[in-house]
Amino acid sequence: MAPHSPGTHQIDTLLWIGFLAAAIVVVAVNVALFYAVRRYRVERGAKPRQATGGGRVQFQVAGALTLFAVVIFVVSIVYTEKARETPATGSAGLVSAKSKPLTIEATGQQWLWRYDYPNGAFSYYKLVVPVDTAVVLNLISTDVVHTWNVPDLSGKRDAVPGKVNHVIFRAEEEGNFVGQSATLSGQAYTAMRTEVEVVSEDEYKAFVAKQKSEIEAAQKRVVGVIQNGEVP
Amino acid sequence: MSETPHPELVVDGFPKKGRPRWIELATSADHKDIGRVLICGSLGFLFLAAVEMILMRLQLAAPENSFLSPVGFNRLLSEYGATAIFFFALPLVLGLFYYVAPLQIGARGTALPRLGQIGMGLWVAGATALYASFLFTPSEAGINPLAPLTELAFLSNNGVDAWATATGLATLGFVFIAIDLLTTIRNMRAPGMAWRRVPIFAWAAAVGSWLMLFIGPVLLAALTMLMIDRNYDGVFFADGSGGAPLLWQHLSWIFYSGAYMLILIFALAAIAEIVSVFAARPLFNRGVVMGSLAAIAVLGTLAWMQNMLTAPIGIGWMYFAMLMSLALIVPFGLIFFNLIATMLGGALRMRAPLLFAIGAISAISIGLAGEIEQSMVGAAWQLKNTTDATASTHFALVGGAVFGGFAALHYWFPKMTGRTMGESLARISFWTMAVGVVVTFVPLFFAGAEEGQVIDAYKFFGHTGVNAYNLIATIGAFVLFAGIVMTLVNAIASREGGPDAGHDPWGGETLEWFTLSPPEPHNFDVLPDVRSARPMRDIRAAIAYRSARAEAPARESQPVA
Repeated sequence: MAPHSPGTHQIDTLLWIGFLAAAIVVVAVNVALFYAVRRYRVERGAKPRQATGGGRVQFQVAGALTLFAVVIFVVSIVYTEKARETPATGSAGLVSAKSKPLTIEATGQQWLWRYDYPNGAFSYYKLVVPVDTAVVLNLISTDVVHTWNVPDLSGKRDAVPGKVNHVIFRAEEEGNFVGQSATLSGQAYTAMRTEVEVVSEDEYKAFVAKQKSEIEAAQKRVVGVIQNGEVP
Repeated sequence: MSETPHPELVVDGFPKKGRPRWIELATSADHKDIGRVLICGSLGFLFLAAVEMILMRLQLAAPENSFLSPVGFNRLLSEYGATAIFFFALPLVLGLFYYVAPLQIGARGTALPRLGQIGMGLWVAGATALYASFLFTPSEAGINPLAPLTELAFLSNNGVDAWATATGLATLGFVFIAIDLLTTIRNMRAPGMAWRRVPIFAWAAAVGSWLMLFIGPVLLAALTMLMIDRNYDGVFFADGSGGAPLLWQHLSWIFYSGAYMLILIFALAAIAEIVSVFAARPLFNRGVVMGSLAAIAVLGTLAWMQNMLTAPIGIGWMYFAMLMSLALIVPFGLIFFNLIATMLGGALRMRAPLLFAIGAISAISIGLAGEIEQSMVGAAWQLKNTTDATASTHFALVGGAVFGGFAALHYWFPKMTGRTMGESLARISFWTMAVGVVVTFVPLFFAGAEEGQVIDAYKFFGHTGVNAYNLIATIGAFVLFAGIVMTLVNAIASREGGPDAGHDPWGGETLEWFTLSPPEPHNFDVLPDVRSARPMRDIRAAIAYRSARAEAPARESQPVA
């Protein structure tokens, strides 16, 4: 994973903090365990002490553990809140009249993602977005639970039927980013992949216009065929 | 009045010949017989779960492998999940609780023995339903089959029904056993055994039974709704018509989180008994460990939404789940501290039970450390449903149920059979398993955290940088499998061929070591007055004291303090 969006930069930092916390736990427990097992063998003539640990040391340990947990809790909230912010669209990005983020509907269905753009155009599998632009994906599902998962651009979000979930990101550079659905959704679950193509503002505008005109032309042709009495 | 008081027991003047052993086991309401069925059965299912894991790992040994079909993989995955949780881990936990706890508290049986018998029967029926589904179609919906994939519209064959029947019957059985166990521990403790003197493992049995009484019915309700949805046109989990797919996630994760905690409560309590006996010193602080075990049950179940951090729920609920998960650091940390503090300053005898217990502490600590990162909301958005989650869960639960379960098995095997398990095979098995678990699951941490490999997928793609990780994990799975099989073979071989154990091979401190090995059906002829948390130690001290006074030999015929 290589972060390419403001949110994933925050998540990446948090992942390293989490790794550090986990490493502290693993090392502390296992080093103490190893020391105890090496040092206090009956073969080494150890005499068992019958003393037990009263309240004071237990309170100290509980206090230290509470502090550790609180620090992780607070740090996690700080970074999660930063990752949740809707980033401002940059100078190279697509700025709408009301400076709202670009909103795209993403629909999960067995076993494909469909993207509906604001001008009425749509695309399957591949999502095209302008670079340096704040994008909000409204995730819905028409059948079972799917997870939208393009790790370089955003954290995972589930598309659950009857609910709307949101993905927010701002791609920092042009390029292609791949992802794979992460919730078992049936036989072809593994095939349910997606790709985000980040392009310049002009290329994006050209893409949605071309999609729209091609879709309209195709629909017109189908309507014409049906009106002429031919079955397509 | 007839001449013989019990004519049905006498044939031609001789006692009637006993019925075959398997009929005895199947019809007995004795907690030891029921416990044996659960323990032996669960170890059999451990073997099956390990075989299923091996088959799935073989498919995932190479990129875009075609050893299994997508549907075949999904079916194995579903069977593996149900087998590992409902037919290996939980029955092993409850079986050991059910066998040992009544002995530990000095009870001559259980309070509601027929309830336990029905519970065992329901569990056997559930296991039959699960594996009978191989005859038609096993479930394809995964380990926790999320609605609405389980609805009839998406999986129309009988697989999900078989899965729901199997897990439902087993869970109902667990609830019945928990009721019996809890009633027994509340009402049938030996004279003088106040709650503060109850052995840690029996205390954990009480806590675990309470937990099962809470989470079991939650899953049973969800399964009932699922069956109504599938068979009677219900809409509980269907989108629209007032149904809510997320309802299944809430209910099922309450059960799965609670079951996770139940397994760890069992393992940590068994480890506490073992560490204290093999270090020849009392637990560093009993009260703190007892309180922590109860806290784990409560907090761990309240953290169920830790599994739903990517679902469309409010951010406040996500922070609540994180708070509950991170709060678990305190009770788990205190237990680890007290276990290790008991070893420090002790005189450790490195026998098989202690070896497995130490392995369990180590594996559980790695798994729970991984869970810390899984519960940090922002980090979870990346890590959830990756093999990092697989690795964390498996380190904690293989550590708890397999290493912890084997520690308990080696420790109480002499009580159940009168023989100890072979020590050298136990050592070889332990080190093989220790290598196996590390080689299997550490690469999955990296594949999930670094490359984001997703779970439950029947294949992975060659260009995603996870080829080596998966190949190593598959090799590790074979090593782990070999280690597990060695202990199973050891148990079977030692059942009749192991060295004689006597009634107290380890110098135990609790009352189960006061009776014969294996115990008589009524458990105890006579019970001592319990005056501390370590009654066997008191008895030994009393005997030593009396033997030292040469002028006054012991008057009693039995070693009663």
